[in-house]
Amino acid sequence: MQDFMRSVARVTGLIGRIALYLSGIGLVIMTAMIAAQVFWRYVLNDSIVWTEPGSVMVMGWFIFLGAAVGVREGYHLSFDVLLMVLPMRVKLWLYSISDMVVVAFGFGMIWYGGQLIEKTYKNTIPSLGISGAFDFLPLVGGGVLLILFSLERLARRAAGMPTARFGETVDEDELNGLVPANRIEEKG
Amino acid sequence: MEYWILFGTFVFLLFIGTPIAFCLGVASFATVVYLDLPPVVIFQRLNSGVSVFALMAIPFFIYAGELMVRGDIARRLVALAGAMVGHFKGGLGQVNILTSVMFGGISGSAAADTSAIGGIMIGQMEKRGYDVDYAVAVTVTSSMIALMLPPSHNLIIYSIAAGGKLSIADLFTAGIIPGFILASSLMIAAWIMARRRDYPTEPFEGWAMVGRLFINALPGLILVAIIFGGVRSGIFTASESSCIAVVYALFATFIAYRTLSWEAFVGATLGAVRTTAMVLLVIGCAAGFGWLLAYLKIPAELVEFMQGISDNPIVVLLLINVTLLMLGTFMDMSPLIVITTPIFLPVAMAFGVDPVHFGIILILNLGIGLCTPPVGTVLFVGCAVGKISIWEVMRSIGPFYIAAVFTLMLVTFIPALSLWLPALFR
Amino acid sequence: EIMLKASDTHPDGYPTVEGVKAMGKMLEEKTDGRICIEMFHSAQLGEEKDTIEQTQFGVIDLNRVSFGPFNNIIPETQIPSLPYIFRSVDHMHKVMDGEIGGEILGAFSDHDLIALTSYDAGSRSFYNSQKPITSLEDLAGMKFRVMQSDLFVDMVGALGANATPMPYGEVYSGIQTGVIDGAENNWPSYESSGHFEVAGYYTLDQHLMVPEVLVMSKMTWDKLSEEDQKLVMEAAKESTAVQRKLWAEREAESEEKVRAAGNEIITDIDKTPFIEAMAPVYEKYVTDEKLKDLVARIQAVE
Ligand code: NA
Ligand code: NA
Repeated sequence: MQDFMRSVARVTGLIGRIALYLSGIGLVIMTAMIAAQVFWRYVLNDSIVWTEPGSVMVMGWFIFLGAAVGVREGYHLSFDVLLMVLPMRVKLWLYSISDMVVVAFGFGMIWYGGQLIEKTYKNTIPSLGISGAFDFLPLVGGGVLLILFSLERLARRAAGMPTARFGETVDEDELNGLVPANRIEEKG
Repeated sequence: MEYWILFGTFVFLLFIGTPIAFCLGVASFATVVYLDLPPVVIFQRLNSGVSVFALMAIPFFIYAGELMVRGDIARRLVALAGAMVGHFKGGLGQVNILTSVMFGGISGSAAADTSAIGGIMIGQMEKRGYDVDYAVAVTVTSSMIALMLPPSHNLIIYSIAAGGKLSIADLFTAGIIPGFILASSLMIAAWIMARRRDYPTEPFEGWAMVGRLFINALPGLILVAIIFGGVRSGIFTASESSCIAVVYALFATFIAYRTLSWEAFVGATLGAVRTTAMVLLVIGCAAGFGWLLAYLKIPAELVEFMQGISDNPIVVLLLINVTLLMLGTFMDMSPLIVITTPIFLPVAMAFGVDPVHFGIILILNLGIGLCTPPVGTVLFVGCAVGKISIWEVMRSIGPFYIAAVFTLMLVTFIPALSLWLPALFR
Repeated sequence: EIMLKASDTHPDGYPTVEGVKAMGKMLEEKTDGRICIEMFHSAQLGEEKDTIEQTQFGVIDLNRVSFGPFNNIIPETQIPSLPYIFRSVDHMHKVMDGEIGGEILGAFSDHDLIALTSYDAGSRSFYNSQKPITSLEDLAGMKFRVMQSDLFVDMVGALGANATPMPYGEVYSGIQTGVIDGAENNWPSYESSGHFEVAGYYTLDQHLMVPEVLVMSKMTWDKLSEEDQKLVMEAAKESTAVQRKLWAEREAESEEKVRAAGNEIITDIDKTPFIEAMAPVYEKYVTDEKLKDLVARIQAVE
């Protein structure tokens, strides 16, 4: 089981890294779009009308992808003071409940994101001229990754392997997708 | 019953360690299901909660701050502050605080401030004979200054939580005087402690040195001018000037000074993505939560309740202050801004408090919460950098808490401290 | 007992909010309190685009919204949003209260919405800080803030000026610092936003006279008995009169304030060249036969 989960981790780690790098590229694209908007307005005395809605859409992607990767790497804000006093066995159960709840939320993102897409795909987004469905694609994409990474956490815990813990300080230099020692739950 | 489901689910998930964003999202999800409303509304709020152009300032400011930290700008500011106030009693404590005033204008994030300045200063202070707990206490509490001075992204979060109709320029301007009062109070606290503990003083190296280091630190200082000047003059929107700040930071560190390597650039980009995704997901999930609060008319009921307690705005503000301080001791800043603004702002406004003034009270209040146990991100970062426990820091942090609460009281009860400067600009 | 939840992005006391409240009172009286309306004003439940989706899903029962957000959803709504389509407020009322208005409102039902009635939102005109505009030549090259809408951008472009989409909150300082020369809006907004303090010239070209619409969720509508549906429809139509009266009062109040401030109001302009300049805009947006027919019939209304 542990060997299997280690090979799973290689795949999910790669997916997580791709998602994170895509988000990073998204941030750079956003910067370029808004910089262009300012340049056009002040230097060329002209307006670009699509940069604002365009960059908001890119932001949606990078938030939902980045947030999903955060579940894998453990960089979300949380509050786990109570858990300090509980025995490890109980804690691991509570962590698993928490992960299952996140899976449910991820399903919500996909299912209801789908409903929103169904309602809006015939509309066009002003200034971009694309289908209104594009507004909700990041929600669905983020939901898929969220479920994937949460299920991985559940499976790893079941196999007696460590998972990233939420609520510790963000270690931003940590680029390789591995989890630093101080942010790992103790093993059960 | 729906209140119990909303708040009960939230608290239960919070206590079992679920990320706060999902605590908010799932609690709203559960309540909507209970109320037999279409759950799609929560996910729609989540999506539109993060699809706001004004929010874009947050990733950009965080990104610019990351680039500045990794591009050596923070260290240059420390050096400048050292030359300016190092020769006071307990000089390095004063340097630490003054750096936060200058750096706060760049990062706008207390946590970034703590890790950047703490990383440079705490070791240096330790070597010069300061107690580590003192060094950490100064670093942590002075990073609150960053929350008050532009470009505090927390003020942008507040402006959006307040319905997006508050001027970001006004909020930025309103924080300046309270920020300087906080800095002065902390400097006095640091000076009193330094005298009591007889901490050393650095030699003054002359005005020529100050001038040289000023020029050295100029790229950082110019950035502040760009951001504040851009937003205040109305030439750029907050989102645009934050973007200009990123472009400028890239230009300064990557091309002009060559202090940023390609690896550091990638690190800064991914670091900014991580922090922003985390903050903005909370904002999105809180949008659903806030929608439910409005739908259930909870703020309106709270206003009525408060009006039943007292008709005196001072008493009500004091009550709000105490509540926020208590919440702040166990939760983080951005979720608290987005959760408490829709609840307390209508109350404050019903009692005649200006929303801009209330924003400054709220931020300072929650800022103190960042530096207090059991949950204070900034306190955690400071302790991690200084490699000591939270309880050790408590030995020295008392006078700084007093300075901060003193500032909070001044800012709460003298509206002019927040409102005079923005009115001057209008 | 039926409690209808209503949303509006305007603050309490605004003519549209008061209009829906008046409708609630009428319903309450007619049904002895069996049907009432609970108002969520000031965008408490979200901005227009969001509340429209919420109304479609049946979360919100009643929603007062502009035509703008529907332009990309329901083609018919583009017609009253066309520049210079209405000659006057009376012309607009005649069209919207008549057969054509009924046809446009009827188009909402394909989108899970029942459009009950239309409200007034005044007419929008250009204001600027530079000079009194009386002709197209005056407009040439000037920079005007517009809402984020293709139609608005194209309209300003066709008039020879420069459209700058910008958040509403930035307009005041934008005009003050000369980033833009002006913007366009109706009397109440020109006054209450304070823009009249920095933009002293208001040219009443009345390029847009877009009414607003009160919609009900189709899910809510279908739950009502036929009798109740009739009551709701009646109350909505009656509330229109209340809203229009309040709107006219509000407009007069704002106009008085602006005039008292000494602003130059330009009323004496020949609109013909402005209207002629709209030909390419009409060509771009009025694409199919049905829409062309609507335009022709509106223009034919005396
Ligand atoms: Na500091
Ligand atoms: Na705290």
